[in-house]
Amino acid sequence: MNLFRSLPSAALAMAMAAPLQAQTLTITTSGGDYGAALREALWAPASDALGYQIREDTQSDSLAALRMQVMSGAVSTDVIQMGSLEAAQAAAIDLLEPLDPGIVDIDGLPEGARNAYCHPFDSYGTVMAWNTETYGDAPPRNWAEFWDTETFPGRRALRANAQDLLEIALLSDGVAPDEVYDVLATGEGLERAIARLEELKPAVAVWWSSGAQSTQLLKDGEADLVVTWNGRAANAAADGGAADYSFAGSVIGTDCLAVPAGAPHAAEAMKLIAAMTTAEREARLTDHILYGPVNPAAYATGLIPEERLALLATAPANAGTSVFSDPAWWVEHGQEAQIAFDEMMNR
Amino acid sequence: MTGPAAMTAPAPPADDGRAGLRRDAQRERAFFLSLSLPALVLVGLCAMLPILWILRQSVLTLRGEFTLANWEKLLSSSLTWKSVWTTVELSGATLVLCMALGIPLALALASAPQKLANRLLILVMLPLWTSILVRTYGWLVLLRRDGLVNQALTGTGIASEPLALVYNFTGTLIGMVHFMLPLFVLPVYAAMRDIDGNAIRAAASMGASLPRTLATVVLPLAAGGIRSGAMIVFIYTLGFFITPAVLGGGQVSPVAIRIEKVMSTFQDWGQASALGVLLLILVAMAAAMLAAARRLAGRKGRTHA
Repeated sequence: MNLFRSLPSAALAMAMAAPLQAQTLTITTSGGDYGAALREALWAPASDALGYQIREDTQSDSLAALRMQVMSGAVSTDVIQMGSLEAAQAAAIDLLEPLDPGIVDIDGLPEGARNAYCHPFDSYGTVMAWNTETYGDAPPRNWAEFWDTETFPGRRALRANAQDLLEIALLSDGVAPDEVYDVLATGEGLERAIARLEELKPAVAVWWSSGAQSTQLLKDGEADLVVTWNGRAANAAADGGAADYSFAGSVIGTDCLAVPAGAPHAAEAMKLIAAMTTAEREARLTDHILYGPVNPAAYATGLIPEERLALLATAPANAGTSVFSDPAWWVEHGQEAQIAFDEMMNR
Repeated sequence: MTGPAAMTAPAPPADDGRAGLRRDAQRERAFFLSLSLPALVLVGLCAMLPILWILRQSVLTLRGEFTLANWEKLLSSSLTWKSVWTTVELSGATLVLCMALGIPLALALASAPQKLANRLLILVMLPLWTSILVRTYGWLVLLRRDGLVNQALTGTGIASEPLALVYNFTGTLIGMVHFMLPLFVLPVYAAMRDIDGNAIRAAASMGASLPRTLATVVLPLAAGGIRSGAMIVFIYTLGFFITPAVLGGGQVSPVAIRIEKVMSTFQDWGQASALGVLLLILVAMAAAMLAAARRLAGRKGRTHA
């Protein structure tokens, strides 16, 4: 092949084609059923509306993929889907482009969910689930009651990870949902949360480590009260387990969309993110997966059926007492918190 | 075995035939040594190099500069020492239970007629041919609150309410003993099979009771096998991960679990590597102790002979 001869003509062809051809952006998602849902509901209609061509890429570890692209100076991705905590870690080491607030409607989001680098678009809740045979019609209604081992005797199962449990411990201790991070920011907040968890520890039969395990524990009746993700709790009930759950005091985690630092089409990427996160598209996403929209307007579209609303962490009826997990706090204090948590577990 | 010095010693000039024989022997030995080369290369590439790499990583920062911070953090953390203690406790308890169950079993196998013993041995080996994951999850099904064991216990009235048999130390121990028992029984059985029946008959003819015969003749003669079995059980279990991860319910955290946790929640390669090296040191110490015990026993055996 004669590279030198074909090079100028290729360049010429590209130069001529450029004004005619649509922009091609690359989007990186975690793939699988989730990736397919994102394509169907979000980026395919959004890119059609904007006239962009999209190349899809999948990565199971978005932070590692992002780090590699940015560090090697060969950024190929324009829009990347991440967990909000990973995104905060990425932003802390300058791997992300700040979002343009003129294009992406950051202020339209609920206060706890706003982020300058990665735009949250869907959500899940860490919730309390219980065995309906043990508690019948009178399960705990909030975290304070979850902690009350006299009125609600029974074996608890909690995740062996400080995330969400610190927030939940403070909620159980009477801290208002919108003050959780103010208390955690005081330094004594962490101690208080850990002490509260230690109080419950004698009633904790299992510290689970995978979501599937938490479903199993709930379904088999191995534990009476389980802290788990809403999708996992719903699975236990759907699989025929005597299980139910509630969004009371749930801690909400989000997935978000970001633009890598040095992305080849950063300006177009911002437009794509804005178009992907319109009220209608986020509402449509719930046809595919049970992740609640973060854009509050999605709930006003009337596109989400009533019975589905009950299953979404951010639905107005469910979100009244919940807390948005704050990735910024976790990036800064996560390691310290996890060590304190592990020490508590091992005492 | 003779050392390399013997191989290179100059042949005595007197007898040509003998020198030729020695050359042949040398050539043969070199040939057999060369057969082990592929294995040596494999071990070097797949075991030694990664170990050195982990050792190196334990003294580097994320940016690749030299640091002792990983080790300082590790050695000053109560979590590390707690996990080291849990590891030793688990391995020690597994060993004690394997001995308590395995020695009588090996004795029964060794004294059974050969044909029956062979059949029973297949039963002992059977669990070894099943995946450890299957066996571990099998125990989960058996031991959980509404599992078969608890159903039997509460059904027969032995226990008034289901016992906590799993998601704790007990469950982990049951799973580990189940895994290790065949590996302990095999060398002990082999050692007991090799005991000269005349020694036992001699003891009996001189009026020794059965327990006395066992204590003074059978067990001392099988000691080599018991020591090998003990070494396999103790050292093998120091690095156990799956069993405590599945059956421990987060309540049991030996070093292997700690390494996974440091990796998955902190992405801290340096500290995880340092923990790995610590585990390796633990294994080396255990091996050295067992080797010293063997030397000691060997010396005692000679002075008695």
